[in-house]
Amino acid sequence: MVVLEVRDLRARYSASGPEILKGISFRVEADDFFAIIGPSGAGKSTLIRCINRLVEPSGGEILFFDREVTTLRGRQLRLLRRDIGMIFQEFNLIDRMSVMDNVLSGRLGYTGNLRTLFRAFPRDDIQHALSLLDRVGLLEFVDKRADELSGGQRQRVGIARALMQTPKLLLLDEPTSALDPKISREVMALIKQMATELKVPCLCNIHDVQLAMEFCNKIIGLQDGNKMFDGPTGEMDQAKLNEIYAMEVL
Amino acid sequence: MNRAMTPQPGTPQRQWRRFKYPGSLISYGIWLSILVFFAYTVEYLEIPLDRLLGMFERMGSTLANRYYPPDIEYIMDADYLEYVLETIQMAYLGALFGLLASVPLGWFGSFNMSPSRRYVYPAARLITMGCRAVHEMIWAILFVTIIGFGMLPGVLALMFFCTGFAGKLFAEEIEAIDMGPVDAMRASGANLFQIMLFGVFPQVRVAFTGIAIYTWDVSFRAATVVGFFGAGGMGWYLKRNILQIETERVAAILLSIIFLVLISEAISAWARARVMKMK
Amino acid sequence: MSDILASPAPKPTVVDILRSRRQNRYAKGAFFGLLLIMVMWSVKVTVIEDTDWERIGSVAKVIEAANRFIGIDFSLFPSLLGPTIETLMIACLGTLLGVILCIPAAWFGALNITPYKPVTYPLSRLMMTLSRSIHEIVWALFFVAAVGLGPLAGVLALAVRSIGFIAKMSAEAIEDIDPGPVDAIRAAGGNDFQVVIYGVLPQVLPQVLSVIIFEWEINIRRSAILGMVGAGGLGLVFFRQMNTFNFHGVTSVIIAILLLIMLGEVFSYFIRKTVI
Repeated sequence: MVVLEVRDLRARYSASGPEILKGISFRVEADDFFAIIGPSGAGKSTLIRCINRLVEPSGGEILFFDREVTTLRGRQLRLLRRDIGMIFQEFNLIDRMSVMDNVLSGRLGYTGNLRTLFRAFPRDDIQHALSLLDRVGLLEFVDKRADELSGGQRQRVGIARALMQTPKLLLLDEPTSALDPKISREVMALIKQMATELKVPCLCNIHDVQLAMEFCNKIIGLQDGNKMFDGPTGEMDQAKLNEIYAMEVL
Repeated sequence: MNRAMTPQPGTPQRQWRRFKYPGSLISYGIWLSILVFFAYTVEYLEIPLDRLLGMFERMGSTLANRYYPPDIEYIMDADYLEYVLETIQMAYLGALFGLLASVPLGWFGSFNMSPSRRYVYPAARLITMGCRAVHEMIWAILFVTIIGFGMLPGVLALMFFCTGFAGKLFAEEIEAIDMGPVDAMRASGANLFQIMLFGVFPQVRVAFTGIAIYTWDVSFRAATVVGFFGAGGMGWYLKRNILQIETERVAAILLSIIFLVLISEAISAWARARVMKMK
Repeated sequence: MSDILASPAPKPTVVDILRSRRQNRYAKGAFFGLLLIMVMWSVKVTVIEDTDWERIGSVAKVIEAANRFIGIDFSLFPSLLGPTIETLMIACLGTLLGVILCIPAAWFGALNITPYKPVTYPLSRLMMTLSRSIHEIVWALFFVAAVGLGPLAGVLALAVRSIGFIAKMSAEAIEDIDPGPVDAIRAAGGNDFQVVIYGVLPQVLPQVLSVIIFEWEINIRRSAILGMVGAGGLGLVFFRQMNTFNFHGVTSVIIAILLLIMLGEVFSYFIRKTVI
């Protein structure tokens, strides 16, 4: 079934600025691990961030489980966002807080203000957080401050945090760009494993084409805001890659 | 909610508590004692919390009835304006002399450039701290007692205050410089004074100007009030009218003080922005 | 079109450079000369003409007058304990109240989290400027008129006076945060309150605490003199000693104030070491 459908998505950062996305359309299905590739500045990150409205689209439609989301505001928007988990390139953890609190912060969309103030999360949430931390292999770091961890470890906390939301879709914004190659592969493998286990589709903005081809089943190639390729990984070949990355070859 | 994520029955429940012994206990203990301290403070000072809200209401009505409308004509009077001019003069004289005194004090009081770390540095620091610790109003009262009423004690009080104020800031600025050029000059055989002039001063020049402007700001704000204790300037009018319970005139004087200080702040903010651009 | 083909501007010669340096020096000299004249005139008007030189008499008499303060009235010290504690407490409570008032002030004053920029931002900037521009004595006079004599006026005066600095520094710290964690909390579906508690606050906490401690120390200094206008604490004792011409007593009070300030510095040093 179609989890996400994007139709003719357009985005620009200011009313008079250039159009970053020039009409992108694609579909994400429930068992997809979708990759978005393309040269820098092609609009990959913008596309990802339009889905959960961290960036406001200037045109087009985004349908999440057949629901139009580009017009949502306030509480409706927050309900949408808590169903979509996001993993960031720079991890975006709360540095001064413990790993446990960081993972629990994924649950904020389900937590009231008073509980937030006293950080009193329900026991079920805590159990859930512990099992996620165990799954990503960080159980012994549970009370360590987030800034005491290495890059790879921090991203794993990010993974746990995103999955804490019990999301229906995972957005990955260059999750491995800040990690070295070996750790990158481990992290991507972990994400893919957990997403498959928990049956969560992923939409991944990725810079490293090799990783994309290795882990993802479908690929979109963007160039300068336009979609240049849309299909299963198997159909991607060197010629099409050259076309997408034409600018970068120089 | 995805069933795969809830803990299956039979898997061991892990224990994790937010409360950690002894860390959390100490933490909560400290918070509790802080709370108790403040509660005790309210008790000790006999602050009537229950009457507080009523007080604000009374404050509003007092302001509306007795302090409004402010007697603007009174402050447009030529005599008063003369006092205003004097206030401004006192302020910048005090700031000027204070800055002049605080340049050497700041130098001597900087750990890296002080001529002698064993004697001169602590002495300079002590003097600066002493000038700073004594409130400008205390300086004013002391000088008024020694010298009498008038603007001289005001200028002296502001001078001592500004010396302490700027001296500390200058010293901190000098301590923050890049020692590279200084070492280079030392290596070429320059004496301390030359090093200060050619190695240190160019680095701190812009920051010093900013500090000077800030000092003027503070000096002017204090100058408007030293007259209250007899040291010349608009403050004297304030005191007189408070004693005579001429509340509408007091309101006018307060407004004039606020107005002038705001203008002074605007000018110095502009000046500081210009200085920042020079960097 | 012809500009491209025209010869480039002539390079400045040594003579030119020397001339412009001389001109610069004249300009600077004129500026400083003017400044000097203004200062000398001010000194003449304020200090020389306004001072009652006859009353002062000679330098010797001035020194004699200053000498009156040399000497400590030790008998006063036991009775100073109460007012000293009162001064300290007024400073603490005043700072606390100021911090509470700064929560909305800093929130409105930070461009990235202010709720309604055209209104709330200028409003908070105005509040901060007013708070900083009015001397604490003026605030104290205002509050004494409003709520009567006593420590409450002092607490309120210090609270309002502290807003300017604490809120301004806190707002600047908030504006400087890394937007990453804020994005993360938003993306998880957090509301504005949760974004502030989780995304903003942990980042600015060390700076804000540092600013609060700094202002607390200054407030001790201010609290000591507010008593002179009726707001409680050592200031009142100072005032009384002055009025009864007990100059050694005045010195005792000043020493008490200095000791209190020193205590404050030591305390703040340790707090900074452990917490920040």
